[in-house]
Formats: sequence, structure tokens, C-alpha cells
Amino acid sequence: MSVGVDPLSGAFLAILGLVAVPAALFAAAAVGTARAPRGLTALGGGFQLAMAGVLVARDPVTFLVCWELMSLLPAAAILLSHPDLAGRRTVFQYLAVTHVGGAGVWVAVLVLAGDGAFGDPAALSALGGGATALVAAAALIGFATKAGLAPLHVWLPRAHPMAPSHLSALMSGVMTKVSIYGIVRVLVQWLPDVPAWCGGALLAMGGVSALGGVVYALTQRDLKRLLAFSTVENVGIIALGLGAALLLADRGATEWAALAVAAALLHAANHAAFKGLLFMAAGAFERAGAGRTVDRMGGLLRTMPVTGGAALVGLVAFAGLPPIGFAAEWMTLRALAELPLTGAGGWGLAGAVALAALAAAAAVGAMVATVVAGAALLGRPRGAAAAVTGDSTPGVRVAVLFLAGVVVALGALPGLVVPSLAALAPGGGGLAAAPGLDLPGAGPVRTLALTAALVVLPLALLALRGRRTAAPAPTWACGQRTGPELDWTAAGFTKTLRLTLAGALRPERRLEIRASGGTTHEVVHRSRVPELLEERLLAPAIARVLRSARAARRLQSGSLRAYVAYLAGVVVVLLLLVRIGVLT
Amino acid sequence: MSWAAAGAMQVLALAAAPILPGLVQSLKARLQGRRGPGPLQPFRELARLWQRSVVAPEGAGVAYRMAPAVIASSLIVAVLMVPFAGEGLGWPAGTDALVLISLLALGRVAAAASAWDTGNGFALMGAARDLTFAVAGEALLVLVLLVAALPAGSTDLGAMWSAAAGVGAWDEPARWCGAFGMALVVVLETGRQPIDNPDTHLELTMVHEGPLLEHAGRDLALLQWAAAARHLLVIALAVGLYLPHPAAFWPAVGAMVAGAVVVVIGLALLETWQVKMRVLAVPRLLAAGSVVTLAGLVTWLAGAS
Repeated sequence: MSVGVDPLSGAFLAILGLVAVPAALFAAAAVGTARAPRGLTALGGGFQLAMAGVLVARDPVTFLVCWELMSLLPAAAILLSHPDLAGRRTVFQYLAVTHVGGAGVWVAVLVLAGDGAFGDPAALSALGGGATALVAAAALIGFATKAGLAPLHVWLPRAHPMAPSHLSALMSGVMTKVSIYGIVRVLVQWLPDVPAWCGGALLAMGGVSALGGVVYALTQRDLKRLLAFSTVENVGIIALGLGAALLLADRGATEWAALAVAAALLHAANHAAFKGLLFMAAGAFERAGAGRTVDRMGGLLRTMPVTGGAALVGLVAFAGLPPIGFAAEWMTLRALAELPLTGAGGWGLAGAVALAALAAAAAVGAMVATVVAGAALLGRPRGAAAAVTGDSTPGVRVAVLFLAGVVVALGALPGLVVPSLAALAPGGGGLAAAPGLDLPGAGPVRTLALTAALVVLPLALLALRGRRTAAPAPTWACGQRTGPELDWTAAGFTKTLRLTLAGALRPERRLEIRASGGTTHEVVHRSRVPELLEERLLAPAIARVLRSARAARRLQSGSLRAYVAYLAGVVVVLLLLVRIGVLT
Repeated sequence: MSWAAAGAMQVLALAAAPILPGLVQSLKARLQGRRGPGPLQPFRELARLWQRSVVAPEGAGVAYRMAPAVIASSLIVAVLMVPFAGEGLGWPAGTDALVLISLLALGRVAAAASAWDTGNGFALMGAARDLTFAVAGEALLVLVLLVAALPAGSTDLGAMWSAAAGVGAWDEPARWCGAFGMALVVVLETGRQPIDNPDTHLELTMVHEGPLLEHAGRDLALLQWAAAARHLLVIALAVGLYLPHPAAFWPAVGAMVAGAVVVVIGLALLETWQVKMRVLAVPRLLAAGSVVTLAGLVTWLAGAS
């Protein structure tokens, strides 16, 4: 067993630490009331250790053992906290999808290990074109499954919300990033001359994940499930950055290729921090009695000012708005724009389409963040949230405030980390550290001044406005009286957008009107947005696999004579093959 | 020298921005056979609003209070990014074109958050429509900026302005396609017909006006000024990137003023000639604009190889 740390491992270990420390603080406050607190604590610790193990592993066996533990330990934690049928189903799906897809990781690692090229630069450069393509394809499928990239993401929005909130934070915030580490390690650092189609595949998967993840987040009511869909979106944004990096490296634009890697890693850190923050805030809201349904919260900024305020910072980062959280998104946009800017050809067009997709995804993300902020945090308390009496415990408050500070710092001072991140990719050195971003071929982005301006200017305008206020009046509803039952819901707010997307989302509606004798007795309305990739693509595939498994089971009759006949048959077939010269 | 002059012009233009919607309104009134208000009417309205006190709806919180200041600040920062005649302050946000997208989104989200804080259904309806349009709108804007960045090879707004100078830039079909997309962006962000009707008093038809309903007094003055500043921002962008202009500083200043007048006349004509379209048709219009812009991009990529 050999371990070691280099700058790339260090960057991801830093991300792990950023989320793990607040998660431990949160767990200390929250785990006591959960089911099986001892088991959860042990599994949580083991899970973090396994992720660190993947990051520092320097031989194939250690890597694969830690990789499998990283998948299995959270599955056990979900089973501990949800021993019911729904929990077992989710865990089965999670393990099945990540192991079938994750087999790609085994193939990639074992092929590399077979040539003695696991981390050995000399052996890696001796790798042939065929072996490179095989390793690249296998690594892409394997790591993309575990990262939650579409179309292999189906397990993620189910499994992540099931876990206790601090483990959800670690799964969404860090576990997906460990898969990103795998992609960066194998495709960016190790393999020489990665074929261009790998970058194209990452662009396609990233674009579909970014748009699809955020659009399905729009249709969720459960806050934690919404956050899990947004994880699919953000992993997609990271994949877009990495895809641009591979394509730019392929055409020799090494400087921006390295900057695209830096954009992806910066967004990885940014997403880890704000998603960890939001999952923990969701857990804190649930513990305070506000439930998990966005529409039944409201006013949490008033009843839980610290946790709610930190969640608001996280949501601004979610929306990618300046000054918080937009630096990583801007860098990814700029890296994609570099594809059409530096050269002709189809990849330039692909870059432009990905750029438009990312801009649209960012706009939908802004809407999702607005809905969560508006329905859960702003306004007056309603539904379950009316029962909330006070803010969370000091440990939880410190945890969310720490992460909010990280998110703000990443927005205000990205230039301090971007040079080191760019240096992780080949040919990415030579950028000086400064607070803002002044990149070649782009205008300067003075993030620190922008942050200061967006704090000082509004405060100055507020001072200018003064405090002259007349008595408060009821809100304008054409003279109607308003009440909690007339409040807008998240579904109402997103209706216009969902209508424009109806062609892609294919919502199902059922309206039953029971009427007799001229009077209507009952009107039942049900609507549902099916997850198309899962229901049209994966469910038939899974059904077929299960059917063929049932068919294969007939071979196992349990009769000794049948097994002897199988053995005899195999021997005869082998002898025949030798006879005709296929086997020697 | 020209740098300081352009900076001073940026600040002056921020103060004078309300004249742009004023000009459109008075020109539109003439075109429709009415006498209408003079172009300085918005200034009078702002002065009147500044004297009034704020009436906050019951239960509104921090998002409602902060929204007008945040929206106005985002536009101040955004306008200072856009070069006037190729120069500008470029401070505090720098001069990268793609940052503009996020700054416009900040204003939209702040307005929507304020609507949620008041719980006003009409405000929420308008904000929801605004955010819906933004999905296709942001994709369109990023493509329009990309097409303008192609000849410059850079997303720096100053470099993009220089690359658009002269008449040679118009030999490229990409620029014509981008100009069409830019025109749609102008109509969207200024909230003009056929996308939105700034003169509507019927709450159910409001888009940009909806979130303004619950604001009064100085808050409303800030928001109305912000709407005027949004006119200034997109007109400065359109004139700088997609209208012909000379490369030398002072002639370019003249060209910029002339270009702004051309855009204002175009908006007044469009408002007279077009009726408002259905809300659900707007994303389709914007997507069509994106496709046209993308087609322009394809001609550029094919020509470059």
C-alpha cells in the first residue's frame, strides 16, 4: 500500500476538509437524535477516510479498495437511517447503477496497472493509441457515473437526499468531486494526447447535465431533492470546463486549456462549499420543525436569522450572481468561449452551443435559487415553518457561517487560488497571484473591487433614500383581502417557465371531475413531471436485464447431473476449439 | 485624456439616462398623433417621487428594503463597464463582456426576491415572467457577445469595440446576424413592445412593471431610474458593438450619440407598429434570435478555416 500527496491531491483534500469540518460540527449537534447515532458516526468517519484514501492512493489496489469503500459506506449509512422499503430500493438502485457504470473505473485502473502505467509518466507516454482510447473511454464512463453526469445520474437525486444532512453535504459536496479528481487525474494529467472526442463527450454530458439537472430541480418540492438535482447541474458545469480543457489542449491552446481546468476546479470548490452549506441549512430547517417542503416554509430569515442568512448567501452562490459565486461560472463561460475564439471547425460550434446552454442553465439556476429563497426564507412564516421558534444550536450556526465565509471569499478573491489551480494542468504555470482575475484574451475582472462596490453602493443608496416611511399598508391585490391560503407557491412561480419547457418535460396531468345531477361533487387534479431519461431509457434497460437474469437462473437447477453435463459440455467445446485450431 | 473624458461621459450619462425613455415616449406620442409629454418628463417624475415617503407593505423584510438599492447599484456598475467611444472607467467591475450577463441577472433576481418578500401576486407574476424570458435571453445575450468578440479574439469590451470600428467589419455575415440578436436583446432589456408594454396599467399584463407595484417614494424613484439606466446600458452596448463607428475618439463620440438617437427612433417606431405578443411566444422569439446568431457564428467558423 503506497500513499502520497501531490498538488492535485492536495487541492481535493482541501475541498474535503472545507466540507468535512463543518459537517463534523453539524453531526455533533444533529446525530444524537437520529436513528443509530453510533453506527452513523462510525460510517461517516469511515466514509471521509475512504474519500481521502482515493485522493492519496498511489497504487491500483489501494485506489480501488478506497473507491469501493467510498461507495459502500454511505449506502450503509442510508440503510441505517432508512431501513424501510424505500430506503432499501434507493440503496439497491444506487449500488447497481454506480457498480455497473463504475466498472469503467476498474477497467481503466486495471489496464493502466497492467502496463505498469498507474502514475508512472514513462510508461504512460509509451501507451499506444488503442490503449489510451480504451482507458479514456472507460475512465469517462466510470467516473461520470459516480460524479452523477447525465445520462448516468439517475441514482444521485434519490440517494443523496436520503442520507442524514451532514452526509448529504459530504456526498453532494465532496464525493462527486472525488470522481472529478479521477477525471482530472487520468484524462488531464496522465494520458498523453487524449483523443478530441473525449472532450466532446464531456461537453455533451456536461451540457445535458447542467440544463437537465437544473430544469428538474425546478419541478421538485422537497428541498433536499431539489438540492440533489442541482448537484447534477453543477457537476455538469464542472464537466463543461474539463471538456473545454481537453479540446483546447487538443488544438494546442495550452494556456487556456490550463485555465479551463482551473475554472473547473474553482467551481468544484465553490460548489462543494455552497452545496454543503445548503444541505446543512436544509437539515437545520428540518430539525427546527420547518419540514422539507419548500412551499411549507417561509419567513425563515426572520425566525432563524443566522442559519437563514447563511442559506441566503449559499443561494446567491447557487444563482451564480456577483459578487458571490460568479467567478467560477464566469471562468467556465470564458473557457467555453475560447473554443470558437481560437479556431474554426465543429468543436468551435460545439463550444458555442455549450456556452449558450450554460448561460441558459445559469438563468434557470437563478430562478430555482429565487424560488427557494423566496418561498422558504423571505416573506412571512407559513405552513410548518410557522412553528419554528428559534435559530439552530451554536455548532450548526458556526458550521454554516464558516461555509458562507468560504463562498464569499471564493467570489471576492478567486485570483489567489486560480494560478495554483492552473499550474496543476500541463503548461499552466506562470500566472501571478492577485485578488482579481486578469486572464489573457479577456477583460480584467476586479472581483475584490466589485464585491466592495456591490456592498458600498447599495448601502450608500439606502442612506440617500433615508428612513422616511409612511405607515405600512396591506399588499396590493386589487382590493381583495389576502391570506396565507392565497400565498403564491413555488409551483405557481415556475409555471410560466415550465409551460415554455412543456415540450421537453412532457408533464402528465389527470383531471377527474365527479359530477351528478348537475352539481360537481369532487374535482381531483394530479400532475407529475416524469424523469424521462430514467423512465424511457433506463427503466426498460433495467427490466430487460432482470428478465435475462431470470432466464439465466434456469441454468441453476440444483441437480448434480445437470452440472456434470455442463462440465462435460464445456470440455467437449474446448477440445473442439483446440482441434480446429482456434485455441492453441 | 480621452480615458478621463470617456469616464466623465459615463458618469454624466448615468445621471442623464432618464432622457432615453423620455425621448422614446415623446416620439411615440407624436407618431401616434398625440401631443404627449416632453422628453424631460421622467426627470419631473423622479423629482416628484423623491419628495414622497415610502409606503412599505405589511410584513415585508430585508429583501424588499434592499432591492431598489441593489438593482440601481448593479446597473451603475454595469454601465461603468461599457466603453463609451472605446474608452471608459472600467472600474469597479473591469471590462469583460461576460460579466454583464451576471450583473443583469443580479438585478432581475433582486426584483424577484423583493416580490417574494411582499407576497404580492402581481409582482410575483411579473418577476416570474422576467426570469422566464431571461432563460432564452441569457443564451441569446451570450451568443451576441460571442459574435462581437470573434473578430477581436478577446472578450474585453474595449477590444471588441475596436474590432467593430470602421466599415470593414460589416463584410462578415456574422455581424449582421449578431446585430439581429442584439436588436432583440435591446427590446427585451428595455421592456418594449412586442415583448413587454411599459405603459400598461393592467397588472395581469405586467412583466418589468410588476415588481415595481409595491414600491413607492424614493424606492420607486430608484427603480424607475434603474429602468432608464438599463436603456442606457443596452443602447451603449448595441451602438458600440453593432453600429458602424470611426476609430478616433471624438468622431466616435459623435457617432455614439447619433447611434443612440437611431436606436431610440427604432424603439419608438417598433412600439407604434407592433402590439405586445403572448407571454409564451417570447421565449420562442428569443430562441429564434439565438438560432440566427448561431448561424452567423457558423459562417464565421466556416470562413476562418
